[in-house]
Amino acid sequence: MIKKLLFLCLLFIGLGGFFAKAQDDLIPKDSVDFWKFLIIQKSVPGLGYSLKINKEEDLNKLDSLNGLNYTKTDSGYFSRVFEDFGLVKSQSDQFEKDSIDYAAVFLVFSNPTSLEATQEYVANLIRNGDFQLVFEERDFAEDLVALAQKFPYSPLLKFKLLFISDFKLFIVTLVIVFFFIVSIGMILFMIILKLRKTNRENQLKEFEMLIVDPLTKLLFEKELDEINEMSKTDFYAYFPKEYLSNQMFKEVIIERIISLNKKMKGEFKGKLKLIYQKLDLDKVSLGMLEYAKWHKITEALVQINEMDLMEALPKVEKLVNSDNFHIRSHAVATLLNLSQKVDLMFLKDQTYPLSDWQQMNYLRIIKFVNTIKPIQVEVLFESENPSIRIFGIKLIRILGRVDMIGNLSKMTETATEEELVEILETFDTLGAHMEIHVINNCILSENDQVVFYAAKAGATLGNAHTVDLIANRLVEKSDSFRTRKQLLRTLHVLDALRFDHITLDKVDSTIQDLRAHILDPMLSHV
Amino acid sequence: MKKILIIEDDRLISSLVQFRLKKDGYETLLVQDGNEGVKAIDTWSPDLIITDVMMPFKSGIEIIHHAKKKYPDTPIIVLSSLGEEEQVVLEAFNLGVADFIPKPFNPNELAIRVKRVLR
Repeated sequence: MIKKLLFLCLLFIGLGGFFAKAQDDLIPKDSVDFWKFLIIQKSVPGLGYSLKINKEEDLNKLDSLNGLNYTKTDSGYFSRVFEDFGLVKSQSDQFEKDSIDYAAVFLVFSNPTSLEATQEYVANLIRNGDFQLVFEERDFAEDLVALAQKFPYSPLLKFKLLFISDFKLFIVTLVIVFFFIVSIGMILFMIILKLRKTNRENQLKEFEMLIVDPLTKLLFEKELDEINEMSKTDFYAYFPKEYLSNQMFKEVIIERIISLNKKMKGEFKGKLKLIYQKLDLDKVSLGMLEYAKWHKITEALVQINEMDLMEALPKVEKLVNSDNFHIRSHAVATLLNLSQKVDLMFLKDQTYPLSDWQQMNYLRIIKFVNTIKPIQVEVLFESENPSIRIFGIKLIRILGRVDMIGNLSKMTETATEEELVEILETFDTLGAHMEIHVINNCILSENDQVVFYAAKAGATLGNAHTVDLIANRLVEKSDSFRTRKQLLRTLHVLDALRFDHITLDKVDSTIQDLRAHILDPMLSHV
Repeated sequence: MKKILIIEDDRLISSLVQFRLKKDGYETLLVQDGNEGVKAIDTWSPDLIITDVMMPFKSGIEIIHHAKKKYPDTPIIVLSSLGEEEQVVLEAFNLGVADFIPKPFNPNELAIRVKRVLR
């Protein structure tokens, strides 16, 4: 117990000495630093100072206001007592500026005191807790942490929301928000679209159900004449008036009649066409030709074609040169089907090249139409469109129009090489012996394709002159392998002796191989 | 009264055929897809089947297979727009169909053929 008390006493004394030493360390020993210390403290209880001027002439340098406050003593002139140490700086600056010899005297309770005694007095005050020290403000610019403590945080970019101040985060957020808005928009759009589609499908089914029975009854219960004599009011008994004014109902009934027309034959086709016109659906088809959407126009053209709407032909003719491939194709097909006299003038003026698909499609119709209507193919040769002229030549060949061989012969003078090839093929197919001079001229051509087809035609139509031309060409010219093979084959067909003479004399291994190939019966069609 | 099963997915065509056959006094049943067709063959036991070839769920050829297996003596008339496809026609006849009517067709002509087949 005693030991503990002794330890506590020692600890108290030790701590007291430590604190006393610490408080003494706070008081600067140096007079200049001590003054600076006092300036920071501004005032200390019971402590003041007086300014002492030694010479009278220095006193005279002071202005009257300051000079009058000095009291003359034996040791010099003393100012009044100042308790605000904050004034020291300005006073000393003024004296130094005026070159006045002065000194500051510490006064403790108005008694002049030495520097050491004053320091001891201040230390005692601090130690006893009678005076709270004021510390010098530090230069915060040198200490960022201290600066941060002193000044509250304020962002560099003062936006209302914190994330806006971060540019990248803001952009990413914007992109995400945009993505979500677009996604939601698309989902909503799809839902709306789906709903509309479902509604439309339901309505179409409903309309279809309404159409089936009346149309069946009309087709089986009424004869063609009876339908023809039916008035609009009579039709309302089958199809209610309010439905016939509905655009979607009209679309459904048109679609059903067209579909049925494709699947039925006999008198039913006639009845369907009559019903179509009696219900004024032909006006709908004609109106659709004015639409901007190409698929609607194409749909209208199919309807016109299927329902034989002759009154639509002038409008259809205008679409023959449409820049849309499908419109063009359907317009030509419709004209070919419906025109009474197919002069193909509408095709002649077409500026777009004919694709293989179009040629095949037109050919199919023309082949059918050719059996019932006169086709004037010759107008196609006047076309400025090369693909139309070539199509014309192909038509002569495929339709077997021997009467047009003369027209082709005239064409050869101005024909392009591509046209010449088609003409030669046509001569070959139609057996145009009278045109052998054209074929012979073509054997002399510089174009490999033309020579090949001329040689091919020469095999069936050639004469002695053809043999001479081929023999000369084989000797003088070096054509492609394909052409040389055809020339040799034609020569073999026309004059076997000349063929032997030409091929046996040649040391050219290719000619020898070709000879072996042509003479081999197993390879005659290879 | 003879029972005729019509299996055709085109409602308008089937309705026309049904109307025409009803006029001739036949009892008809109309179904619109292959599955329903098979079910109707099993449950309704028709005297004649008129079927399309291209249909949802089961093709006309599958229906013919099923019908010939279950009721080998029931005549079948095929009504199809695939009439120009030789392979389909040959397959149908090989399976033993009574007649093949290509679309476009005339319902009156179909009625005559039905009468002939059921005679």
